[in-house]
Amino acid sequence: MAQATVAQRTVAINLSDFSGIRSVVRMALPLSLLMLWHLLSLGWPRSPQFATPLGVVRAFFELWAKGHLQAGALISIERILAAFTLAGILGGSLGLLMGYWPALDGWLGPLVHTLRPIAPYAWIPLVILWLGIGDAAVISIVAYAAFFPMTVNAITGARNIDRNLIDTARVLGASPPTLFSRVFFPAALPSLLVGARLAMGSAWIAVVAAELASGSRATQSAMGGLGQMMYIFYAYSINLNYIVACIITVGVLALVSDRLLHALYRRLTPWARGT
Amino acid sequence: MGPGRLRRSVLFTYLRSMAVVVCVWWAVSLWLARPYLLPPPATVASAAFKLLTSGRVAAAIAVSGQRLLISYVLAAGIGVPLGIGMGLSRWMADLFDWLIEMVRPISGIAWIPVLLVVFGVSNALPMAIIFYAAIFPFILNSASGVRHVDPRLTSAAQVLGARRWRIILTVVLPAVVPDIMTGARIAASNSWMALIVAELIGAPNGLGFSVGYAQELGNATLVLAWIIYVGVCGYVLDTTLHWLQGRLTPWRVGLKVGG
Repeated sequence: MAQATVAQRTVAINLSDFSGIRSVVRMALPLSLLMLWHLLSLGWPRSPQFATPLGVVRAFFELWAKGHLQAGALISIERILAAFTLAGILGGSLGLLMGYWPALDGWLGPLVHTLRPIAPYAWIPLVILWLGIGDAAVISIVAYAAFFPMTVNAITGARNIDRNLIDTARVLGASPPTLFSRVFFPAALPSLLVGARLAMGSAWIAVVAAELASGSRATQSAMGGLGQMMYIFYAYSINLNYIVACIITVGVLALVSDRLLHALYRRLTPWARGT
Repeated sequence: MGPGRLRRSVLFTYLRSMAVVVCVWWAVSLWLARPYLLPPPATVASAAFKLLTSGRVAAAIAVSGQRLLISYVLAAGIGVPLGIGMGLSRWMADLFDWLIEMVRPISGIAWIPVLLVVFGVSNALPMAIIFYAAIFPFILNSASGVRHVDPRLTSAAQVLGARRWRIILTVVLPAVVPDIMTGARIAASNSWMALIVAELIGAPNGLGFSVGYAQELGNATLVLAWIIYVGVCGYVLDTTLHWLQGRLTPWRVGLKVGG
């Protein structure tokens, strides 16, 4: 429940809000801050180091036209998909098993709960030593970060299944595969999808962290992922406009993937309302 | 089963799992036979002990802890009143909602390159990132807490003749404490992760820096030793807040946060 408080808060912006005095109040602060930024930037010396609202827009279109933005985003998305799939399969199945068999939980539970509060990013240096700074390193960090929300929610999901359901199905003669696919899995699905959504959020943060850290340790300016691009714009050209354009891209992509998973959640588990 | 027996059995399962991990680690390190990649547990333990006695661990924890504490308290000091204000007043909510929803999808970590340009590698960088990572859970949870205060409570106070401010102070605020504590735990976990990354990339000292520095030396033993200390600190932080949550809101224990 508590994790849902923040993660499942829906975006406050929807079309019906664009009416009357409320929308004026709502837009007041973002717009005036944007104006202030623009006015202040007029007084700044003409240097690419200083980001301006127009400069960010220009940087976005330049990066788009050169194809850098799409290439970087594609690399990050591919890494996230690989890591998310890995964490989803491993964390989901492990969590379901742990929630179902208390004995397994007894062995692995302490491990999960000890490792969880450790920042996944503390492993970055070790992973860089082991795997270098390429795809493998980034994917392992992202998968590690996404693994815990997935596992913890799968455990909760399996643990909270009404045992009567399972016993009833068993008495009625359901075979183990049927039992799993018709009773156990659907009952745990809402929790699994909540876990998937939290995992996706963690994955987007982790991919930037891992790519930034590996970018800061790169020996040559290898293009790879939005995070690495950002670091390169810092280290080689100190152009804030480009960096801010990348940041906004990451934010939008993270938001879109979150909305997609939320839509999936509502679509697949219409009985689990109230979020 | 008495409470003492229960605690002992929890400790037992814990130690049992950890013993298995150490054994597996030791076996893999033997099988791999590349101590520069995966040193055996004993080597790491002695390196960790040396770090501890040299005072470097205490120094790193002091630096990181100070950053975390100052930024976290600042984030709470601004975030909680702002969130409560947004919960109480529709105007305030309208004013800040969109700004917050626009900025929030961007993680604190994503701002690191910008702050590298603005502050350089410095003490200010991790502190700013921690503040950013911690403030949103405080705002959002306080605001939603105020909105979900049982209307019967406020109506009852109103009927009994309490004024607006009296109601806010004596009815609304205590009712929001559980939500603030939930926010506090999410904020702590967010800011802890932000701290490690920010120090790894853009700080001249601290826990995150130490792990990264050991990597730059190519010393896997040192890296692992520092990771153990990062882990212990993260665990202590999480456990402390969980305990605090139980103490402050004993009627809401058993909540799980994070993941």
